[in-house]
Amino acid sequence: MLGFAVLQIILRNFFQSGIQWSDTFLRILVLWLGLIGAMIASRQGKHINIDLLTKYLPEKLSILSNKFCQLFTAIVCGLIAYHSFLFILLEKESGETAFANVPLWLCESIIPFAFAVITFRYILMLFSDNQSYQQ
Amino acid sequence: MIIAVSILLIIIALLGAPLFAIIAAAALYGFYIEEIDLSVIGIELYRIANTPLLLALPLFTFAGYLLSESNTSKRLVNLSHATVGWMTDGLAVIAFVITAMFTAFTGASGVTIVALGALLYPALKQGGYSDKFSLGLVTSSGSLGLLLPPSLPLILYGIIAQQLDVGDPITLNQLFLAGLIPAALMIIALSMYTLYTNRNSNIERIAFSKSRLKQALWDMRWELPMPPFVLGGIFSGYFAISEAAAVTALYVLIIEVFIYKEISIHHLVKIMRDSMVMVGGILLILAVSLAFTNVLVDAEIPSKLFNFIQTHIDSKITFLILLNIFLLILGAILDIFSALVIVVPLILPIAVGYGIHPIHLGVIFLANMQIGYFTPPIGMNLFIASFRFKKPISEIYHATIPFMFVLLFVLLFITYIPELSMFLIEQ
Repeated sequence: MLGFAVLQIILRNFFQSGIQWSDTFLRILVLWLGLIGAMIASRQGKHINIDLLTKYLPEKLSILSNKFCQLFTAIVCGLIAYHSFLFILLEKESGETAFANVPLWLCESIIPFAFAVITFRYILMLFSDNQSYQQ
Repeated sequence: MIIAVSILLIIIALLGAPLFAIIAAAALYGFYIEEIDLSVIGIELYRIANTPLLLALPLFTFAGYLLSESNTSKRLVNLSHATVGWMTDGLAVIAFVITAMFTAFTGASGVTIVALGALLYPALKQGGYSDKFSLGLVTSSGSLGLLLPPSLPLILYGIIAQQLDVGDPITLNQLFLAGLIPAALMIIALSMYTLYTNRNSNIERIAFSKSRLKQALWDMRWELPMPPFVLGGIFSGYFAISEAAAVTALYVLIIEVFIYKEISIHHLVKIMRDSMVMVGGILLILAVSLAFTNVLVDAEIPSKLFNFIQTHIDSKITFLILLNIFLLILGAILDIFSALVIVVPLILPIAVGYGIHPIHLGVIFLANMQIGYFTPPIGMNLFIASFRFKKPISEIYHATIPFMFVLLFVLLFITYIPELSMFLIEQ
């Protein structure tokens, strides 16, 4: 991505050209990288949260509230994965392209995929009893 | 029913569920009650890929991670010693400047305290400053520089404000310019406080040595040109923001990995992963917040909120006072990225209704967040400092409170004199 962005600057400034779809491409790349990062963050339980209260809860209660939060997150992400998947199916029928000849639905497909993986991660966490979520 | 669901979501958030899931749930619930097909969430989440400034986010994050993992902080402290060590309070004053610059490039994630503060703290104590003063300085300057370009929170505020499209349209360059004077004021005020409190203490001055300065400058020869180059490029209009980000990231990558050779390829992979996780966390929250903001706008919540507030508060001044208090508390409990994406969409339309310029609001917002970082009892940087310097948290409270008051004083000026932020833009 870095290389591509720099290439674009060189092209734009020295040859007054630049690849027309590169801006769109780069932004989609950020989305992909970001969502892949989000999947890794889920594995490490590293999502941004408020941990003010949980620090002071007794251990048993804190485990219970952790489990509850994991269940909640899994359900929400599952819903998003399912509905954005339906959306992708619709998009596929419309046959729009995002840039060059790449179909739009392919670019968007990372969304249901990422959320499905995150759902899966949280379900795994729910049924494992290690405390990795805490860190 | 809506109220019940809202309260339930807030409770789940307090129990420690990831914030993105809370906001996503709120958005989904909003679509549900407005009888919009839920597959719209796909469009809403994809919308983030149409944000023009998006590219700057991962590139600056990556550059920041690289800088904080290399020995840049060490070289900076060396250079400061060599340049101003011979002046009265030179070291303390330059400490404010370099922490601010370091934070602007690396983000205020506490890395300034961990990397730079850890070197400055012993150096200050050795120089004759009291333990309390040194501790307060390094803790409170951990978030100084949020208002300086190219800090990520500034960019994020720009992204959100542009998406909202209320009030005067703004550009990121204007936002970058707006932060300069307020940030300079903060540094000046802190420096004056430093001179005043240490007027009777016996601060050791080191003899000025030309060869030492030469050596320190030589060591930093690759890093030193970066800030003027990047900022000059942005302000002269030569680079777009995302291009400046790309150039910065590439340049930092080359000097730290191939010239200074302080980051191995193996380490580089880890840094890439870490910055991806960081960007992923922000991106996810940003994406669901944009969706949620749409729900709110559809339901006309911001304008209803504005009407409600206006019936109770009629002057701009009262509104600003309440805003300051609210934001200070917010900055202490929420991390800056979540605070930005959740609260700016709600506050910006209201502030514009009171005649506050979106750029001025951005400066107020971040200045408050900056102080919130070390506002007792729960500001995040207090805990980071306590952990890093192995001091009890109460000692950190005592040490930072004077600095907090100095900055609160500056905050008043920034909030109530909009010209401080707008002056450079109107030129």
